[in-house]
Amino acid sequence: MSDVIIQASNLSRRFGNFVAVDNITFEVRSGEIFGFLGANGAGKTTAMRILCGLLAPSSGSATVCGYDVATQSEQVKLNIGYMSQRFSLFDDLSVWDNISFYAGIYKMSRAQIKDAGNTMLDKLELSKYKNRLVGSLPLGWKQKLAFAIAIIHKPQLVFLDEPTGGVDPITRRAFWDMLYAAASEGITIFVTTHYLDEAEYCDRISIMVNGKIGALGTPLELKEQFKVLSIYDVILALARGEEA
Amino acid sequence: MQAFISAQGLVKHYGSTLALDNVSFEVYQNEILGFIGPDGAGKSTLFEILTTLLIPDAGEASINGMDIHKDYGKIRASIGFMPGKFSLYQDLTVQENLSFFANIFGSSIEENYHLIKGIYELLKPFANRKAGALSGGMKQKLALCCALIHKPLALFLDEPTTGVDAVSRTEFWDNLMQIRDSGIPIVVSTPYMDEATRCDRVAMIHNGRIMKLDTPDNIIKGYDGKLLSITCKDRQKPKALLQNEAAINSLYSFGDALHISLNNTDASTLKLISSKLEQGMDSPYQIKEVLPTFEDCFLQLMGQMKK
Amino acid sequence: MKNLSIFVRKEFLHIVRDPKSLMIMVLLPLVEIMLIGFVLRFEIASTNLAVVDMAKQQQSTKLIHRLEGGDRFKVRLTQSMPEAEELLTEGKVKAILYISEDFDRKAVENSESSLQLLLDATDPNIATTIEAYVKATLADFWVDSIGGSPVPMLITEQMFYYNPLLKSVYATVPGLISVVLMLICALMTSISLTREKESGTLKVLLISPLKPLQIIIGKLAPYLLVSLLITGIILALSFGVFGVPMAGSLIMLIMVSFVYCLCALALGFLISTKAKTQQVAMMMSLAGLMLPTTLLSGMIYPIKNMPLWLQGITYIMPARWFVSILKHIMLKASPFSAYAGELAVLLLMTGIFTLLSLKNFTTRFR
Repeated sequence: MSDVIIQASNLSRRFGNFVAVDNITFEVRSGEIFGFLGANGAGKTTAMRILCGLLAPSSGSATVCGYDVATQSEQVKLNIGYMSQRFSLFDDLSVWDNISFYAGIYKMSRAQIKDAGNTMLDKLELSKYKNRLVGSLPLGWKQKLAFAIAIIHKPQLVFLDEPTGGVDPITRRAFWDMLYAAASEGITIFVTTHYLDEAEYCDRISIMVNGKIGALGTPLELKEQFKVLSIYDVILALARGEEA
Repeated sequence: MQAFISAQGLVKHYGSTLALDNVSFEVYQNEILGFIGPDGAGKSTLFEILTTLLIPDAGEASINGMDIHKDYGKIRASIGFMPGKFSLYQDLTVQENLSFFANIFGSSIEENYHLIKGIYELLKPFANRKAGALSGGMKQKLALCCALIHKPLALFLDEPTTGVDAVSRTEFWDNLMQIRDSGIPIVVSTPYMDEATRCDRVAMIHNGRIMKLDTPDNIIKGYDGKLLSITCKDRQKPKALLQNEAAINSLYSFGDALHISLNNTDASTLKLISSKLEQGMDSPYQIKEVLPTFEDCFLQLMGQMKK
Repeated sequence: MKNLSIFVRKEFLHIVRDPKSLMIMVLLPLVEIMLIGFVLRFEIASTNLAVVDMAKQQQSTKLIHRLEGGDRFKVRLTQSMPEAEELLTEGKVKAILYISEDFDRKAVENSESSLQLLLDATDPNIATTIEAYVKATLADFWVDSIGGSPVPMLITEQMFYYNPLLKSVYATVPGLISVVLMLICALMTSISLTREKESGTLKVLLISPLKPLQIIIGKLAPYLLVSLLITGIILALSFGVFGVPMAGSLIMLIMVSFVYCLCALALGFLISTKAKTQQVAMMMSLAGLMLPTTLLSGMIYPIKNMPLWLQGITYIMPARWFVSILKHIMLKASPFSAYAGELAVLLLMTGIFTLLSLKNFTTRFR
């Protein structure tokens, strides 16, 4: 039985009268690629922010990498990686500046940064662009770089918030190859996406509907559960309020 | 049949980047023409040229006989445009946005309500809510209504489904088909390959060039070669096993499967592949021939473009 | 602690890479310091002083020479009081010294003097400073030329014109109106227009049958109305609460304010055609309009005392002309001829800014 790296129990979050996250319980196992789906406004983003230690829950609890998100949020942040939509790199800083900044924040020493940074650049074939401003790089490269930087400090778990928005199909696949490589090295991947075919790339997925978890399981399990052929149809079924 | 919208040889540079590279196409009344391609393909630039907001470096285009260079005033008064990000007034209500856009076109909500009725039904409960407080799917519907309310001759929709949830996207395309049926041609762009099926004709665009323009069926039929799909637990395994086979043109992951593109699927090739898999795979797998999806076609065209 | 230094280093990199923030953070303060330290002064030099010499004798002539020597005054000899008063009204002189016919006789024989001093007190601080300078120079003259101690009271009649109680609010209200109107008409409109650009709704507006001119007027008209309303409120308060007089024509005042508003609107519009985002528009308005208006319109620092090159710059500030015209109308009841020239300049500026912004408002981009 692999370790549980994220454990959410009866997690809720309210904003005034509005219940954004409604009593959700689920777990993510170490080394898996976990897809977190749901429409905008379904509570996805709020739930993710709680798990990243950025937002306190209103009730219930969650532990990430063994740390409680409410009381030990600083440790949570140190042990995870994060890559957001539109890649969270500084366009007006160079590639190396971005690397040393983020690696430094995660408490890597100068020597470690030098070593890991150069290795990373070699692997991505971006060594020539070490001092180039990130803003001048094509979208696909920025995306690769952003992910590599997100895991440079070798976290156990990395959160990816819609990381493949807008790029062409080849670049998207190349990105998922990177994700697979990271997963095979033991990093747990927690990813949200609107591309439903990407849901199929995940080991297990959950679909949030109106603050609750509407479906949870492997893509295959869900398709069997709802007796449909694609994840898209699962979402349609959930939207129509059908039960499994 | 006379083309309603036509473009010839449109070229546009941004500094040293070539955003549009000699783009030509035609749109007929009663059709939805979809431009499918990723960010940076040139879609927005094209839309801004067609709606006369941007002057091309070279090339011509006309809408219902009106030329984009000479008749831009007339064109502007008669088309509907939905630029990206929905372009609504966030601090005005649904009702206020709609009447504003109707009025500046010299029309009124009552006059053309029948055009938007189907779409607006879902918005009605929110008539007094500020546009900024609507969900993505609702904003999309409102923006569409605002573009339609003055009974345009043609509709130009630039990425109207980006970032919107799957269910709203489907409803949106249902609405588009109704609009088309009422006689308004639609030019729409999207980064989502699966939406190509909902268009009458599709233009696959990448790096400023139209790689292919045809009906969805013809594009699928025009796929060069055959496609095999392998479903198994660990997709990396077959990839590693078959990567270097000469008979294989390309290998791409597709959801829960691996798509393998071949020149042909005659017995010898299939035998080769199955034996390779037999030897190397240690978990159950399924292999079958499938019809290509649009994304398969796009990937193939991209590959051809590179050469 | 290490995290902090990493973060600080990154922020420095951002600042260095962004020329705009460098300019605002480094250049602007330097310019301000230079201006305030070297250039904008409260001391007054070369005051235009009209002297009516009814005596035209030895002592009076000596007195005039004394006034002319040094750099405190620029003396204009006038033949009569009415002539001098006209100069005062037109703003060509800031003070009048009236030397009566019997000046020499009284001075030499009785050691007495009956000089009259009239001061333009629209800027009370300036008026009291000039008063002090004149009295000091007169005292020096008396000690050197007439002799005898103690020095008698030299000015027996003194009047502060236009603002007899030396209320500072008289001077500040015109300046305040000019700043407020610039704020509403220029700053707010520049932001509103760029907001339309930023949200993408401008594209849709351009695509509509609305003519560009209609869009522009539609955007600007509400601000014009609001600013006229605010002006009315400020004026009402100044009359009602502070007792600022309305010596001249209210209608003229409204018309001139209207012209100034149009000028500011044109400026706001011009900025919006250049700015890509609301933030940039706001920066440009604040740094390029509000700040210079406050410092260089003559509201706080007298323009006359600025070095010539800076005075030249004030010529292109609409506020400078507006404040001057307001003072004429509100405090001096000057005839139209006194400020007609300044009004013409304001109109010209409005025309130029309007043309420039229309030219820059592209509805089709290259």
